[in-house]
Amino acid sequence: MSQELDTAPASDTDQAKAPRIVVAPSPHLSEGSFTTRRMMLDVLVALSPPVAVSIWVFGWYAVVQLGICVISCLVAEAAFIAWRGRAFTLGDGSAAVTGVILALSLPWSTPWYVGFIASFVAIGIGKVVFGGLGQNLFNPAMVGRAFVMICFPAALGAAAYVLPGSPLSIVTQATPLTALKQGLVESSDVLSLLIGNTNGSLGETSAIACLLGGLYLCLRRTASWEIPAGTILSVAVISGAGYLISGSSFLHPLHHILGGALLFGAFFIATDPVSSPLTVKGKWFFGLGLGAIVMLLRLASGYPEGLMFAVLLMNAVTPLINRFTIPDPVGGPVPQRN
Amino acid sequence: MSDKGYITTAWLVLSLALLFGAALAGVEMLVADRIAANKLQETLSQVSVLVPGADEGKAYELEGQVFYQALAGGERIGWVIPAAATGFADKVEILIGVDAEVSTITGLYVLAQKETPGLGDRIREDAWRAQFKGKSTDSPIAVTKVAKPGPFEIRAVTGATISSKTVANLVNATIASVREPLQSAGE
Amino acid sequence: MATDGPTPLERFISGILPENPVYRQLLGMCPTLAVTNGMQAAMTMAGATTFVLVMANLITSLIRNLLKPHLRILVFTLTIATFVTIADRFLAAYLYQMSKQLGPYIPLIIVNCIIISRCEICASKQGPFTAIADALGMGLGFTVALASIATIREVLGSGTWFGLRVLPEMWPDWVLMVLPPGAFLTLGLLLGTVNWLSSIKARKAKG
Repeated sequence: MSQELDTAPASDTDQAKAPRIVVAPSPHLSEGSFTTRRMMLDVLVALSPPVAVSIWVFGWYAVVQLGICVISCLVAEAAFIAWRGRAFTLGDGSAAVTGVILALSLPWSTPWYVGFIASFVAIGIGKVVFGGLGQNLFNPAMVGRAFVMICFPAALGAAAYVLPGSPLSIVTQATPLTALKQGLVESSDVLSLLIGNTNGSLGETSAIACLLGGLYLCLRRTASWEIPAGTILSVAVISGAGYLISGSSFLHPLHHILGGALLFGAFFIATDPVSSPLTVKGKWFFGLGLGAIVMLLRLASGYPEGLMFAVLLMNAVTPLINRFTIPDPVGGPVPQRN
Repeated sequence: MSDKGYITTAWLVLSLALLFGAALAGVEMLVADRIAANKLQETLSQVSVLVPGADEGKAYELEGQVFYQALAGGERIGWVIPAAATGFADKVEILIGVDAEVSTITGLYVLAQKETPGLGDRIREDAWRAQFKGKSTDSPIAVTKVAKPGPFEIRAVTGATISSKTVANLVNATIASVREPLQSAGE
Repeated sequence: MATDGPTPLERFISGILPENPVYRQLLGMCPTLAVTNGMQAAMTMAGATTFVLVMANLITSLIRNLLKPHLRILVFTLTIATFVTIADRFLAAYLYQMSKQLGPYIPLIIVNCIIISRCEICASKQGPFTAIADALGMGLGFTVALASIATIREVLGSGTWFGLRVLPEMWPDWVLMVLPPGAFLTLGLLLGTVNWLSSIKARKAKG
């Protein structure tokens, strides 16, 4: 809002000379440095630990996947912008962030065209058709991933992660959550879930890397800490209750929190400021609901992991959460007029 | 118009209904036989595939359930048993062909399914279904992932263990429940 | 009567693109979404709908002077239902597999709003010749719309067109396109494209 005030005198359009008075709601002061570009750079910095771990664990597979997705996203963004004749927005870094998150959410084995198509769907259907960055209802990277997940089930299903006899020993075993689905509970110890030397999507394997990047984002206030806190709390409560009731046949709550894409998604995907709620109360609802849907999908659906669908579902109810959690203005609610 | 009564205002509707009704009756007379023949043809074509050597399928009702007898020259050489169960996505409907003594499976056909395209729906493929052919019904069929399944095992469709297990379990359960009645019906 | 209202040629042409039932009037969405995952099913549906459109328009137009305002909807529905049943029975007799594949969507032509809207807008006011031209135009427009959606969905989703292979074997099928979400995405993007093109046309016409 304040930027509008700053730039108002400078913008000389048709009625330039007339004094222009901008009426805007508070707050009238805002941190000038808090721009889209800064936020996206923060996210890229925060994503560096998961990127580093993915390259350490999966080697060239991770490098190639990151390259494909980032370049495709940038090309898609440039193409769609040129087509619509809009201002050049590649510099804000949002397309690069979408590309990195998308790449880190794919299995190591994904063929090149899957990342390519996912990137174009993410930018095109996930963002541009809604009117560009800030208007999108859903997280673009997850829209792209959901599209290819349903399009090419063989390339993204549980079987895609495993390649028996591969020289890369990590990919010869099932992912921790698939192992749970098939009843092979004791497949991975908590230590390897923390460090990240397990099978899985590129960016999700290491809990420590996700926590490091996530905490940085929260400290920089680029991400709201309420969303990951709510998600982890809700998963911990549900899996803890399940563990207490049905005992060893249920995966330990630590496995549920550290395994799969939960931490990666809670810190990097769910906190997307565009598609998550605006109010503090709403962010708690968002996080709690996200964790609950993740647990529901992990336990009751045919998929081993449910983070992607959980994020998309919670994105869909975000406008509703915003509407129900409008905070009271200072001095009490606005009196109703008849 | 108000003083004319309903019949007089509705004469157009009534006469149209009569005319259309007669037209429909005519169409039905024209094509009913063909439609019935189409339906019979469909069942029959499956019966002769599921029980090799059969040239005729005949419905057979037993304890409120419909089976098909596979006849060759008027003599019963096998059965076709319809069965259904919930798979990965939705109901999977299959036809199981067995010999007259219900001792060997002679064929399997997937009538309807909505499993994941490209993964679970590969249970329709001939190569996968052919694994059931010639299996003895003495022991339940198990699903395995090894390349060379044993005598009472079939190999799961890659990446679609649930769909594969659904079909195998359905075959086991169906044969277990109908073996006795069908064997005694054969005498 | 044929003097008032558009001429047969105008009716015929407006049905194809300017007043396309799917892209312009957003009618008949149910078959548009449900049966367009392959060209064969889509074209069977388009053919059956066109047949019902022509027959319903013809009958309605012939009896248009006998229609009473409060009974007209009843007469339209009766006429449409009769011809839909005829189409359904003939499909079951001569195209049995296709009839099984289309399932309930053939009987559901009865509630396709394109047909009753044409009876109301054109056939109950104009002569049989104009009514048939109108029905053919609308039927062709519906066919064009179904064909455009079905082509995109079948080529991307199965690599085939009318069941014939058009893309190389190595083409990875976009499974999503033959599933219901593919129908919504394709229809949405095509509708957007049509609106975009017509907005460009309108801007050019302005200046």
